[in-house]
Amino acid sequence: MLDVTDLSVSYGTIRAVRGISFTVGKGELVSLLGANGAGKSSTIKCIAGALKAAGGSIALEGKDITAANPEQVIRAGLATVPETRDVFPDLTVAENLMLGAYIHRRDQAGNRQNLEKLHTLFPRLAERSGQAAGTLSGGEQQMLVIARALMARPSVLLLDEPSLGLAPAIVERIFEMIATLKQSGLTILLVEQNVNQALSVADRAYVMRLGAIVASGTADEIRSGSDLSAHYLGG
Amino acid sequence: MAFAIQFVIDVLSLGGAYALMALGLVIIYGILRLVNFAYGELIMVAGYTMYLSSGSGLPWLVMATLAVGMAVLFGILTDYAAFRPVRAKSVTAVLITSFAFSNLLQNAALLFISPRPRNVPLPEIFSQTISIGGAITPVRNLITIAASIVLLAGVAFLMRKTTLGIAMRAAATNFTMARMLGVPANLIISSAFALSGFLAGVVGILWIGRIGTVVPGVGLEPLLVAFIATVIGGMRSLPGAVVGGFLLALIDTTLNYTLSQDLLKFRDAFTFSLVILILLWRPQGLIKGPASGQRT
Amino acid sequence: MKHSYLTAVILIAVIAAVAVGSQVLGIRLYDRIATNLLISLVLVVGLQTFMGNSGLLSFAHIGFMGLGAYTSAVLTIPAQMKGMALPDLYGFMKAVEISPLLAMFAAGLVAAVVAAVVAYPLMRLSDAAAVITSFALLVVLYTVMNNWSAFTNGPRTLFGLPKTTELPVAAIVAAIVVVVALVFKESRTGKLLRASREDEVAAAALGANIPHLRWRAFILAAFIAGIGGALWGHFITSFAPKAFYLKETFLIITMLVIGGANTVTGAVAGTILVTVAYEGLRGTEGALNATAAAAGQVVGLTEIVLALAMIAVMIVKPGGLFPNREIGHILNRTRRKKEIATP
Repeated sequence: MLDVTDLSVSYGTIRAVRGISFTVGKGELVSLLGANGAGKSSTIKCIAGALKAAGGSIALEGKDITAANPEQVIRAGLATVPETRDVFPDLTVAENLMLGAYIHRRDQAGNRQNLEKLHTLFPRLAERSGQAAGTLSGGEQQMLVIARALMARPSVLLLDEPSLGLAPAIVERIFEMIATLKQSGLTILLVEQNVNQALSVADRAYVMRLGAIVASGTADEIRSGSDLSAHYLGG
Repeated sequence: MAFAIQFVIDVLSLGGAYALMALGLVIIYGILRLVNFAYGELIMVAGYTMYLSSGSGLPWLVMATLAVGMAVLFGILTDYAAFRPVRAKSVTAVLITSFAFSNLLQNAALLFISPRPRNVPLPEIFSQTISIGGAITPVRNLITIAASIVLLAGVAFLMRKTTLGIAMRAAATNFTMARMLGVPANLIISSAFALSGFLAGVVGILWIGRIGTVVPGVGLEPLLVAFIATVIGGMRSLPGAVVGGFLLALIDTTLNYTLSQDLLKFRDAFTFSLVILILLWRPQGLIKGPASGQRT
Repeated sequence: MKHSYLTAVILIAVIAAVAVGSQVLGIRLYDRIATNLLISLVLVVGLQTFMGNSGLLSFAHIGFMGLGAYTSAVLTIPAQMKGMALPDLYGFMKAVEISPLLAMFAAGLVAAVVAAVVAYPLMRLSDAAAVITSFALLVVLYTVMNNWSAFTNGPRTLFGLPKTTELPVAAIVAAIVVVVALVFKESRTGKLLRASREDEVAAAALGANIPHLRWRAFILAAFIAGIGGALWGHFITSFAPKAFYLKETFLIITMLVIGGANTVTGAVAGTILVTVAYEGLRGTEGALNATAAAAGQVVGLTEIVLALAMIAVMIVKPGGLFPNREIGHILNRTRRKKEIATP
C-alpha cells in the first residue's frame, strides 16, 4: 500500500533522515517508533508532501508520490494528522470537518453520509458542531483532526503522535478509537513515542534512531527485543 | 439635526470606502503575511480603464464593469510579477518587489498615458445632490454607503458560507494544513488577489468619482488609508480592517469639521499622531487576528 | 588586518577615487554627478544602519533628509535674504545665521530628535506593521514640510542656501558616515540587533530589548539622513518639499537593495551602480526627448527600468550584490584560502 524506499530528508546541510525503507500493507497498522529527534516527524512531513525528499522514493498503491505537493498527496488517498494537532481555531467544528472533505466537495451526499458515520464514532464532535475549534479541549481537538482527515475518505491514514500532551485517560480512548479504525479496514501508519500503547494496537513496527531504522518486526518481536529500551533511551 | 445627519452620512460614506480599501489589503496580508504595496495602483488601473474606454460609447455600467475587471486582472498579475517569484525568500523581498511593481505601473501610466489628470466618465447621478432632513449631501455619498454595505455583506457571505471562503480563512491561519486537506495553494492565493483587485476596482470608481479625474499617483491616498486602517484595526483581522476603516473615517471627518482652515492642511499629521497613541495603548491593533500560523 | 578595518580602508579608497577621479577629469558635469553620488552614499549608508541591522525596511528615511535640509536652510540663509526666501518665518528666527558646518550638525540633531519621539511606539510593532507605519510617517513628514510655510515656504521652492557643499566636503562626510556605519555594525547594539533577526528568543535571553535596539538604530539612521539632507541642501541651494518624497525614496531603496542591505559594502556598491545607471538612463531619456518623434514625451522610462532591475535582483539574488560579507571579509577569506592552497 505505502512503500518508502531509501528515503532521505535534509534541512540545509543537516540530514534528519538517512535512507530509510519501510512498507505498510493493505489493512495493516504499522507503527514507527523512536525518541524525540529520531527523524519520525520529518519522515511523516516528507510523505505528506510538506517537505521535499533529498533522496529515495515514496509510492502509494504503486504510484510514485515522492515529488507530490500536499494537495496531490491527499488526492492520491493519503491523509495526514500532524503532531501539532492543527485544527483551524477560528473555524467551527463543522467548518473544520467540511474542509476535511474539500477534495470531495462535489459529492455532498457522500460527505453527509460520511459525517454521520463519524458523528457516531465521535459523538462529542456532533455536540460541539457550531463551536469554534479553538475552544475545544486537547483531546477533543485530537478527535477533530482525526475525524477531519477521515472526511477525505483516505486509503491510508498517517497519525503523528496522537497521544502527545494528552491525559492518560484520553490517550486510552484515542487508542481504542485507532483500534476501531483498524478493524474497519483502514491502513494506518502510526508514529509514536508511547511505545506500549503503540505496540498494543500495531501489527508491525519499525524503530528509528538518529534518522535510521535500527529495528523492525512484528509488535511482539519488538516488544520482546531486549535492545528496544536501549534504542529508546538513546543509549 | 441637519448637521448630525450630514456628519453621519459623511462618516459612513468615507468609512465605507476606507473599510473596502483596508479589506482589500488585509485579505492578502491575512493569507500570505505579505504587504502589497502595489495595491493603490489597482485603483489607478480602474481609473485609467474608465478614461481609456470613455470614447467607446459603451454604457457607463459596462465601462465600470470593465474597470473592475481590469483591476482584478492586475491584482492577479501583481501576484505573478511581484509575489510568486520571491514569496519563499523573505518578507522584505516581497515588500521591495511590490513597491517596485507599484513604481513600475505608475511610471508606465506616466510614460504611456500622461502625467496630467485625465477625465473619467461619470454618470449624471454622481454630481447630483439630495436633501435629507435638511442636510444637503451628494448622491454619490449615498451610492458609496449602499455599495459598501452590499460589498461588505458579500465578502462576509463569501468568507463564512462558501467553501472557497472557508478555505481562505483556514489558509490564513495555517496554510500548510489547508494544503494537506487538498486546498490548492495557488487557487487560494489567486482568489485572494482577485478579490483584492475586485474591492480595489469598485472602491476606485467610487473614490475617483469624488474628484472626476485620474492621475498616476491616484492610488497613494487609498493605499495610505488602507495601511493606517489596518494597523489600527489589527493587521490580520478582516473585521478589524472594517472597524479600522470606519474609525479612521470618524477621526478624519471630525477633524474636517473641527479644525480651522490653517490646521486642516495638517490633518494627516493629526491622524497619524492619533494612530501612534492607539498603538501605544494596543500595539497589536484593536482586534487581534486569528491565532498565529506559519508564513508560507 | 582585521577585516572591518580592511573594509573601511577599501570603502574610503573608493570614495576618494570617485572624488579625485572626477577632479582629474575636470569636467563640470562629472563633478556634479560625483557630488550627487557621494550625497546619495551618505543617505544610503544611513538607511543601511537601520535596515541592515534591524532587517526592517524604513520608508521614512527621505523624510528625515528633508527635515535636515530645511533645518539647515532656516539656520544658514543670510538674514538679509530671509525676508524674501521665508516671508512667514517667526520673528526670533529671522536674525539667526550660523555656519553651515554647525547647521549641518544641527540638521542631524533635529532629524534624530524627531525620529526618537515619533518612532518609539512604532518600533514595538511587528515586521509588516512597522514597515507600513514608516511609510505613513514619510507621508506625514511630507505633509508637514508642504504646509508649514513659516519654516519651509510651503510647497514653493525655497532658495538662498549658501553653496558650501563642494566635492571634497561631500567625500569627507561620506567617508565619516561609512566608518560610523561600520562601527555601529560591530557595536554591541548592532550585533544584538542582527542576532535578534535570526532568533528573537535567544537574543532576548541575552538581555536584548529589541524595540529599544531598533529605536537606537532608527535614531542613528535619521541623524545621518539629516546630515545628508543638509549636505544636499547646500549643494543644490534651492529645493521644494517634493524633493523628499516617493521618487527619491524609491531611488535610495533601489540603491541599497541592489547592493545588499545587510552590508555597508553593499550600500556603497549599490549607490555607485545605480547612480551610473540612473545618469545613463536619464541621458537616454533626454536624447529621446530631443528627437522629433518623442518631443519631450518620454518620462518615467528611467524608473521603469530601475523597477524591473530591482525585481530581477530580488528574484535572482535576494540579498543583493553583497548579501552578508563586507568586502574586507571577502578579501581576507580569499587570501587565507590562497595561503592554504599554496603552502
